[in-house]
Amino acid sequence: MAMAALRREGRRFAPLLSPRPIAGVRSSVVSEEDVPFGARSISTQVVRNRMKSVRNIQKITKAMKMVAASKLRAIQVRAENSRGLWQPFTALLGDTPSVDVKKNVIVTISSDKGLCGGINSTSVKISKALHKLSSGPEKETKYVVLGEKAKAQMVRDSKKDILLTISELQKNPLNYTQVSVLADDILKNVEFDALRIIFNKFQSVVSFLPTMSTVLSPEIVEREAEAGGKLGELDSYEIEGGETKAEILQNLAEFQFSCVLFNAVLENATSEQGARMSAMDSSSRNAGEMLDRLTLTYNRTRQASITTELIEIISGASALEG
Amino acid sequence: MTLNLCVLTPNRIVWDSEVKEIILSTNSGQIRILPNHVPAAIAIDIGILRIRLNGQWLRMALMGGFARIGNNKIIILVNDAEKSSDIDPQEAQKMLELAEANVRKVEGKRQTIEANLALRQARTRIEASNAIS
Repeated sequence: MAMAALRREGRRFAPLLSPRPIAGVRSSVVSEEDVPFGARSISTQVVRNRMKSVRNIQKITKAMKMVAASKLRAIQVRAENSRGLWQPFTALLGDTPSVDVKKNVIVTISSDKGLCGGINSTSVKISKALHKLSSGPEKETKYVVLGEKAKAQMVRDSKKDILLTISELQKNPLNYTQVSVLADDILKNVEFDALRIIFNKFQSVVSFLPTMSTVLSPEIVEREAEAGGKLGELDSYEIEGGETKAEILQNLAEFQFSCVLFNAVLENATSEQGARMSAMDSSSRNAGEMLDRLTLTYNRTRQASITTELIEIISGASALEG
Repeated sequence: MTLNLCVLTPNRIVWDSEVKEIILSTNSGQIRILPNHVPAAIAIDIGILRIRLNGQWLRMALMGGFARIGNNKIIILVNDAEKSSDIDPQEAQKMLELAEANVRKVEGKRQTIEANLALRQARTRIEASNAIS
């Protein structure tokens, strides 16, 4: 009777434990496949091994969370400082994301390392949606991909549309010179009417907004300025410091692109650290919960085996007596 | 009537306050900006920015960028900017010598251009740290 009750309890635990997946951590709960069919209960050794591995995983994810938190603090300051950079450009040239252009180039910024939550998939999803939106007769859209994670996802189905991929951005700490060299590279090799930069803007430690910044090429800026509207004010500005207005506008567009790219890269890096921190935090919390339940199972198993031994001894002794 | 001047670099804000007038050096010469200037967008070359406030002139070395003048509000965006008080004369002199030596020994079009740029930057820094007038 006691045996049957114990067996029933063991089976009851398995479905309780399984439906709670741990983010990014692959581990299966003590399940019935581990126990050879016909055995009376789960062995304590198996449970102990499982507990050991879950505990190790919890330590690792806790450490990763601390590392991400400290990196976040440092880079958040820089990202906020760089926000003031592109605002004058928007004030001067206006922000017109809905300008209709023939050649769109989408610059997708992502991270190189994984375990950072869903930010890379959202960037890729938005890039693909944008690609669909801005394709049509006479219009073409191409990609420039920064970062390994987006590259891996996009190479699968949009390989022919990718113009340029750049990885290992964060090997050296990010600084403006490096990003301006990168911007220079992109500008040299890519023909575009409008550049759309897609990145995750850092709102707070738990919220990251996928954002798109638009940089128009100088010819389009001229065209829009003549057409009036927001960019029409540009004409009222006197342009000095160069031979021709076109040359200044060209320089302005390049400078704008490198400033916007710098800000975008910094914000994305900040979002990456924040996302990694929260992913690792939920991982360690889940591992802790799993550990609690495993401890309960372990204790019951241990007590069950002690009870079994006792019963055997007592029944053996009573059989001997009489 | 004063101008509101803001000097920004990619890493930080270098200057943000009210000034009386400024002198910029652009690709086509030096320009002096007084209050109530017409709105303008100006390309700035590697050179000295002179700021006048409280009857005194301050110097800053700018490494190229843009200036936008709105109604009495000037925003200068440059790749790098250093106040003359922040520049150490000895260090600036050493950089100048390094840059000069570099210019003499490099070859290849791109390197010569870069070396020349570095030389001009070093010279600007020396100028800024020197005559504090």
